[in-house]
Amino acid sequence: MRINPLTLKKIRRFRSVKRGYYSFLLFVFLLLQAFFAELWINNRALLVYYEGQFYFPTYRSMIPGSVFMLPYEYETNYRALQKRFEKEGGDNFLIMPLVPYNAFEMDLQESKFPPLPPSITDRHFLGTDAIGRDMVARLVYGFRISIIFSILLLVATFAIGIALGCLMGYWGGKFDLFFQRLIEVWSSIPFLYIIMIIASIVVPSLTILVLIYVIFGWMGMTWYMRTSTYKEKARDYVLAARALGASNLRIIFHHILPNSISLIVTFVPFSVAGGISGLTALDFLGFGLPPPTPSWGELLQQGTSNLQAAWIVSSTVAALVLVMVSITFIGEGVREGFDPKMHSTFE
Amino acid sequence: MASYFIRRLLLVIPTFLGITLVVFTITRIVPGGPIERIISQARQMDQGTSGGSSGSQSAQPDDSPLSPEQIEDLKKFYGFDKPILISYFDWLTKVLRMDLGVSTRYYDPVWAIIKDKLPVSIYYGLVTTILSYLICIPLGILKAIKHKSFLDSSSSVLVLTGYALPGFIVAIILFVWPAAQWDWFPLGGFVGDDFEELTTSEQIWDVIHHSVLPMIAYMLGSFATMTFLMKNTLMDHLASDYVRTAIAKGLSFRGAVFKHAFRNSLIPLATHFGNNISLFLAGSFLIEKVFNIDGLGLLGFDSLVERDYPVVLGVLVISSILGLLGNILSDLCVALVDPRVKFE
Repeated sequence: MRINPLTLKKIRRFRSVKRGYYSFLLFVFLLLQAFFAELWINNRALLVYYEGQFYFPTYRSMIPGSVFMLPYEYETNYRALQKRFEKEGGDNFLIMPLVPYNAFEMDLQESKFPPLPPSITDRHFLGTDAIGRDMVARLVYGFRISIIFSILLLVATFAIGIALGCLMGYWGGKFDLFFQRLIEVWSSIPFLYIIMIIASIVVPSLTILVLIYVIFGWMGMTWYMRTSTYKEKARDYVLAARALGASNLRIIFHHILPNSISLIVTFVPFSVAGGISGLTALDFLGFGLPPPTPSWGELLQQGTSNLQAAWIVSSTVAALVLVMVSITFIGEGVREGFDPKMHSTFE
Repeated sequence: MASYFIRRLLLVIPTFLGITLVVFTITRIVPGGPIERIISQARQMDQGTSGGSSGSQSAQPDDSPLSPEQIEDLKKFYGFDKPILISYFDWLTKVLRMDLGVSTRYYDPVWAIIKDKLPVSIYYGLVTTILSYLICIPLGILKAIKHKSFLDSSSSVLVLTGYALPGFIVAIILFVWPAAQWDWFPLGGFVGDDFEELTTSEQIWDVIHHSVLPMIAYMLGSFATMTFLMKNTLMDHLASDYVRTAIAKGLSFRGAVFKHAFRNSLIPLATHFGNNISLFLAGSFLIEKVFNIDGLGLLGFDSLVERDYPVVLGVLVISSILGLLGNILSDLCVALVDPRVKFE
């Protein structure tokens, strides 16, 4: 594949902004660990060696307890199995992930009441939440859900925004005027209100939430795209292309879009950050994804009402700050790389 | 130019109608309004009494505890008996007479409830606007003059961090640590419980003490935009020919910055003025909820949770008018500071 030398130059410029580039590497690492979170945060063992046979429970359907000679048919409790293997001391062994809990199970310990403080021996590295679910698991799986939410939202709003904005800018006239008014009205509607009204009637699933967010959030992108299409359309190269007999479609797809895309790219990181903070706010207010979905907003809610269990709110806030700040630094770097404002300085 | 602003003012009307019509329709078509609430309350009372008398008279065919006539009356009382457009029109004519209806929760006039919260919102709105300009403009100037110095890059990191975090996260951070854990500030509220007993100077201190943290949470978001706007425009102006000419004529660098470049750099900031004012006045219900400040934002949120739709619509009327006028105010500010701008 041949990469356009201009794009190469942009990427090189992005990499030269150190703050943004390292944030980018950090964020990619966060994404990878979240999408393979089953490998390090799970109540299923990574590897079980039992009576001469290997089992890899992580990504397969559940193995009933009877396979390991346990008196039940539901999913094996690997933590208990591990203890049994250790007591028996035979050849059988199993390897648990670093954090041997999943995001939904409550770890009920004798004579202790959740929230449990962080403990390395229990492998609750950040403690548990108010009903005894592991904080690391809640945080990582919650991060995964909010990233999926943001990416779906990003794709949908950008698709609408680019298509509609481009048409508005290109056609202009009545079409433009109509959608201008529509956008003005639509963006003045307090959009969290509407989401909250709707979320209190239907139990919101991820798709429904994305849908509502798209319905009330497509305007920003459309507006930017419209402006940039307007600008590009007035340029001489478009006139030249038209004079050469290029069709409207060709002008849009071969001339205007490639030139306005570099502006659009700079909005991607900020749009992801907006998605994460929007979902967190909704969950914080209790209008977001239904429990027991792991979510940062719900953890914030728990943390602010259980102030004596400071580890809940501190680890959630720390995770949020880490993610949001790194996204913003990436955004700053991308902007520097793709839409540089060359400042001439005094003397 | 006058004609431009008249046209802008006239355009407010259709936009306002559009916003209120959409929200009005939504409050009408979603279930869970005041009538449903009264029915469920009546059912609970019914069950409470019939639980004692062993439920002998459960002969009613539909399980509604109210008779159809009673429901009709209720519908008439809340104006639910007419089609949406007609009752919207009724509501609108009342709004024009400054009558926002009666809260279905407190049975108080909505306007009185809103007027109750206005002082808090105005206080926060004005003070945050003034403070953010007072801090952002000098900081932006400093960053522009000391471009690429340690001061510039370190304050950039700080400002960007504040920009990265949504306001309510900042509010939570400020609430949990400085207020709850370290006890430096009171735990939310607009004034303390013993406010009435304090002397005037103590009262002023009490308000300030309560409002430091929410103010920070409010301002941080707009901070980055305004500081960077100030910095970037000032830098552009500093590099321009007229500043070089002024210095060549013998003006000091200081003089060139403040007499020439600075004044021109204020223009883009002026475009934000109206928006800032309306944004801060309408308040953020998330921040108000975290700090439990009794302002317009929290009122809107609470009434929404309680399905008190007249109040929801009342708050919406106020905040959307503020927002629309804020936009025009911004344009007016630009026209005032920049004589070159001509709106056609």
